Amino acid sequence: MVVKRNTVVLGITLFLLAAFAWAGWANWEYRKQQAAKAKAMSAQQGMLVAADDGTLQYKSPLMDKPAPAFTLQNLKGQKVSLADYKGKALLINFWATWCGPCKLETPWLVELRNQYASKGFEVLGISAEGDEVTPSDKAGWAKDKEAIQQFVAKNKVPYPILMGGDSITASYGGFDAMPTSFYVDRSGKIIATQMGITSKDEIESKIQKALAD
Amino acid sequence: MSVRKAFVWAVIACCACMATAQTPFSSKSSLVDSDSRSIAGGAKVQFLFPEQVTLPAGKMSAVSLHFKVAPNFHINSHTPKDDYLIPTELKIPASSGVRLAKASYPPGKDFTLPLDPDTKLSVYSGEFSIETHLVAERGNHLVQAKLRYQACDNNACMPPKTISVPIDVIGK
Repeated sequence: MVVKRNTVVLGITLFLLAAFAWAGWANWEYRKQQAAKAKAMSAQQGMLVAADDGTLQYKSPLMDKPAPAFTLQNLKGQKVSLADYKGKALLINFWATWCGPCKLETPWLVELRNQYASKGFEVLGISAEGDEVTPSDKAGWAKDKEAIQQFVAKNKVPYPILMGGDSITASYGGFDAMPTSFYVDRSGKIIATQMGITSKDEIESKIQKALAD
Repeated sequence: MSVRKAFVWAVIACCACMATAQTPFSSKSSLVDSDSRSIAGGAKVQFLFPEQVTLPAGKMSAVSLHFKVAPNFHINSHTPKDDYLIPTELKIPASSGVRLAKASYPPGKDFTLPLDPDTKLSVYSGEFSIETHLVAERGNHLVQAKLRYQACDNNACMPPKTISVPIDVIGK
């Protein structure tokens, strides 16, 4: 009788052991997959890093590297290249007409651009409307251009606004959140990035950093 | 080895298994998982249900479509407060065998960005539903309705996106 009871207890114990081992393995596999997914996402989109306040911040893989070259059209249809601004400190600001935070920060960018232009600073506003407007969608482009022109006029934007930014977002790290800004120093190197809106003070401190020799 | 000793060893092994299961990747991956303010793209709105509805053929019938917005994100309501904002809109392609006769959208919730407390936005967040009136032809129709929306979080906005809303509509 005692032997039979011991056998039952041993059987239950082994079953529990197997169940826990399986649960542990399944859990580990799940976490491994999630980690791989997060890593792949980070590799594709830049990097997520934990800031001091515990939030996730964007760290572009382009940090400390030369800003990728591009040539886009301004609102007058003229070609504008990054190389045209060689020797200047730049804020390359990707924005979109449908983006509320972009519209919120634009007056700050206008003020700061006017304040620091004489020191060799320029803003390049790059409109990236998203991939719903295809290159062949002439009506869509015309509508976007009209919305951009209205916004530029309303905010008295003094810096160049370039169209078709979606064609270069891949070379700038493949992000899709707006606004996203890249601060470029006089040597053409990206010295700071910002995804999402931040305070005017923080923008100004990054501009000053870009201007510093 | 006595059964009692075996039992003790088994309990120790179980504890070890549980500890092993929780340890790997617990630091960085959980940080990413716990905060859904993902900078990656992808749909921020998910169609929940119904997957299938049976409607009287040729008659207008009410069908409620349920959606969920990703945590920490919001999308513009159907009636945003500014012209430049892209409204949430549902469409059913022609030749689907099902016609969208009417769509009633929920009112948006007031929302303000932390850096712009004076501007009120009209948004959907969490779960919301669109009350539709559909007219189905007789037969089975795998309808691919389209929901267009534009999502933002507190600091940034994602490009407008159109997701498919698959519904198996049976017109009887």
